[in-house]
Amino acid sequence: MLKKSALLLGVAFVAGAALAQQASGPFTAAQVAAGRAEYAENCASCHQADMSGGTDALPLAGKGFMAGWNNRTTAQLYDKIHGSMPLGRGGSLDEKTYTDLVAFILHANGATAGAAAFAPTTAVKIGAIANGTIPDDVAHPAPAAPLSGAAAATGARAGAARAGGSGRLVYSFKAGLLLEGHIQNYTPVTDAMLTHPADGDWPMFRRTYNGWSYSPLGQITTDNVHSLQVKWMWALYEGGTTEITPIVHDGIMFLSESGNTVQAVDTRTGNLLWENRLGPAPRSTGPGSSTEETRSLGLWGNNVYVATPQANLYALDARSGKEVWKTSLVDGKPGIGGNTGGVMIIHGKVITGLTNCGRKGSTDHCFISAYDAATGKRDWKFLTVALTGQPGGDSWGGMPDNDREGAETWIAGTYDPDLNTTYWGTAQAKPWRRDLRGSKDGDTDYANSTLALDPDTGKLKWYFNHAPGETLDLDEVFERQLIDHGDQKTLMTIGKPGILWKLDRVTGKFLDARQTVFNNVYAGFDMKKGKPILRKDIADQKVDQWLSSCPGPEGGHDWPATSYHQPSDTLIVPLSQSCVLMLGNGSQVYYEMPGTEGNMGRLSAYRTADMKPLWSFQQRAPFLTAALSTAGNLVFIGDFDRTFRAVDVRSGKTLWKIRLGTTVQGHPVSFSIDGKQYIAVTTGLGGGSPEEKPTTMLTEVHRQPTGQTVVVLGLPDE
Amino acid sequence: MLLSKSFALSVVLALMAGQPALAADKYITNLGPMPLDDASRANIQGRGDVSATLDGRKLSVSGTFKQLPSPATAAHLNISLATGVPGDKIFDLTVTQAPSGTVSGDVTLSAKQAAAFRTGKLYVQIDSQKAPDGTIWGWLLPDHQIVGADVPQQDHWFIPQLDTPSR
Repeated sequence: MLKKSALLLGVAFVAGAALAQQASGPFTAAQVAAGRAEYAENCASCHQADMSGGTDALPLAGKGFMAGWNNRTTAQLYDKIHGSMPLGRGGSLDEKTYTDLVAFILHANGATAGAAAFAPTTAVKIGAIANGTIPDDVAHPAPAAPLSGAAAATGARAGAARAGGSGRLVYSFKAGLLLEGHIQNYTPVTDAMLTHPADGDWPMFRRTYNGWSYSPLGQITTDNVHSLQVKWMWALYEGGTTEITPIVHDGIMFLSESGNTVQAVDTRTGNLLWENRLGPAPRSTGPGSSTEETRSLGLWGNNVYVATPQANLYALDARSGKEVWKTSLVDGKPGIGGNTGGVMIIHGKVITGLTNCGRKGSTDHCFISAYDAATGKRDWKFLTVALTGQPGGDSWGGMPDNDREGAETWIAGTYDPDLNTTYWGTAQAKPWRRDLRGSKDGDTDYANSTLALDPDTGKLKWYFNHAPGETLDLDEVFERQLIDHGDQKTLMTIGKPGILWKLDRVTGKFLDARQTVFNNVYAGFDMKKGKPILRKDIADQKVDQWLSSCPGPEGGHDWPATSYHQPSDTLIVPLSQSCVLMLGNGSQVYYEMPGTEGNMGRLSAYRTADMKPLWSFQQRAPFLTAALSTAGNLVFIGDFDRTFRAVDVRSGKTLWKIRLGTTVQGHPVSFSIDGKQYIAVTTGLGGGSPEEKPTTMLTEVHRQPTGQTVVVLGLPDE
Repeated sequence: MLLSKSFALSVVLALMAGQPALAADKYITNLGPMPLDDASRANIQGRGDVSATLDGRKLSVSGTFKQLPSPATAAHLNISLATGVPGDKIFDLTVTQAPSGTVSGDVTLSAKQAAAFRTGKLYVQIDSQKAPDGTIWGWLLPDHQIVGADVPQQDHWFIPQLDTPSR
């Protein structure tokens, strides 16, 4: 019989007789003190200062930690951390740092320091020395690092060089308006421009309100794409996470980079026009977590709008880079959320979501909110969990309103001007697992739902829950494509389970669904209600039980967004093919999706009128950019293993490709200047499951931990 | 339970080359690494190809494997709740005691096991010295075309999918 615990750990379990049954140790107070500092520097950016875990990071203190580690040993904890942390750089720290970190984690779970120091081979059953009781110094930690001078003014940390075997680098960070711009004759952005963008512009996240990621430019075609060449490149700041969308208007490209750096670049030359480093500095000199990126900026009037992972919303003058106004999405309250999905501008309102919010133990909920684009004053706020008395308020198994958490909005919405309705996807309820959540068999509305809101008031028009009672971190938060078929107005979306959905966007009525990748999470699907049915062992899950999830948290589909090629009624969908086994606290081990022969990447095309699959191809590396389709009948897409390619939208055949410096990651766009069409794409690093899973599984792929750039491609000059 | 036309179609799509799943007697799998993380992945690697033919209740399994980080020590046929879900060993197979080699066996399935086989719930697992609780595995699925990387497939091409729509 398969011994799952041993299978999952891949190491032999220490026999019970060998386990020391002791009340204290095996670590010292000095190790705890050193580990506390190392934790702040190396771990807190993902696992949080209070060790409660983040969007893609497990809790390291309390019941969530003990659920996974109670029966495992201190040596196994050392091996786990040494082998896999910091994320993507396992083994990069010295042995003392790892042992100190283990000591601090044990302390954080109620273990008591003793006289003997912890060593990598010290094997004591964790449940024998720790009980998950979080000491006050961990639950309410002091600030991680002193602030001074200019760094303090922006919240940036003062760096300090450290010698040692781990070879740390010091990140030099200077905040402020480092280069003031003097852009003349800038054309202010109007509502009309956002409703009908100029062909050569890319003024918002998915270019148009309907979310298509489609460019009407047709100069680069299936016939000439083979001659595509690099026109210019621009290096982006390193550190943090890059999944950005280059926003283009009036011949200017606006970029959002690590450290909340915003730059304006001349699209003709690649010259920098202005730069404002809003700060704080990225929390790591290397690739960051899934909570550090800014996927998109917004334009309106003479301003460019930036929402940051620290929950600040800025208006900058698009001509100079100067700050016009700044406001806090969370009214200055620390630790209750931030923004990574970017903003959308509707009727002079900046509308934005919230992520890393609504965590267990907090009484603050996640929300979508709107701000006056001229002043930054908040207009409205919509909580993304259904409370008692609201539609869906009875779907939380009787939980108190203050305990209804999750439903983050980490992807910007779309908008139908005719219906005056904005559409947003939400992520799962928190905690992920329903057995820990307390929602029983409740559907947990409005988590993992499509929300249709009035952009002027924030009032809910309708909602549709795509994954009632979801429990395995399978978000349905991603882009909502607005596609018409004659008089029928539809909304299409796809989430991590890999189900492609079609809804009536006037009423929210379910119309159709299509399975795109292998799925063993759902045992069936009620086609009348549009409701998936969980596999029984998942529905009945227990805290100390490993569960298989195909797809896993990488998706199916994840943030690399779909593109709708309207001329051929084709939706192009980036997909991933991996599975996980997941334990109650979120611990995961990864494996290939059955039937895929190890191909993690998949690009598939569907005709939206009848959901017919048109073509698919797969490859070893997953795709880590959004898809971009153009009037030249091309689809552009980039992948984990550094390849950016052009595909014939009619056949799926690759027509051209180029190898870039590191992972091709972000949201490619097409624009024109002086009558010529260009393609812009970014290389980038950092992020959650879409980066984590292939980093571990594709052992033959080697990437540089640096090399973030924007690359602009075009046809040869005549 | 109501099943959609889409999910019902998934069954059809699973039938590579138009062969009905319930009538197929030859099943195949590509063996790949078992669940791993950064700490264990050095010992959990390798690939293989296995085919299985069911004649009545008699199942004949044969295949090859390669690139294990340490010599194979055992191989077995397992039964699981669903495709992709780890399960329990039901039969031992014969395996070359080396990082590369062959795996084979002839077993007689019960009616329940035969039904599980036909619905994608049996898998082959090979253990090795450094990963004794499992190194590579693969679920046996109806014979289908192995599509290489970067090769577009048209229309109703789909990975083998037996379980979701049938339960």
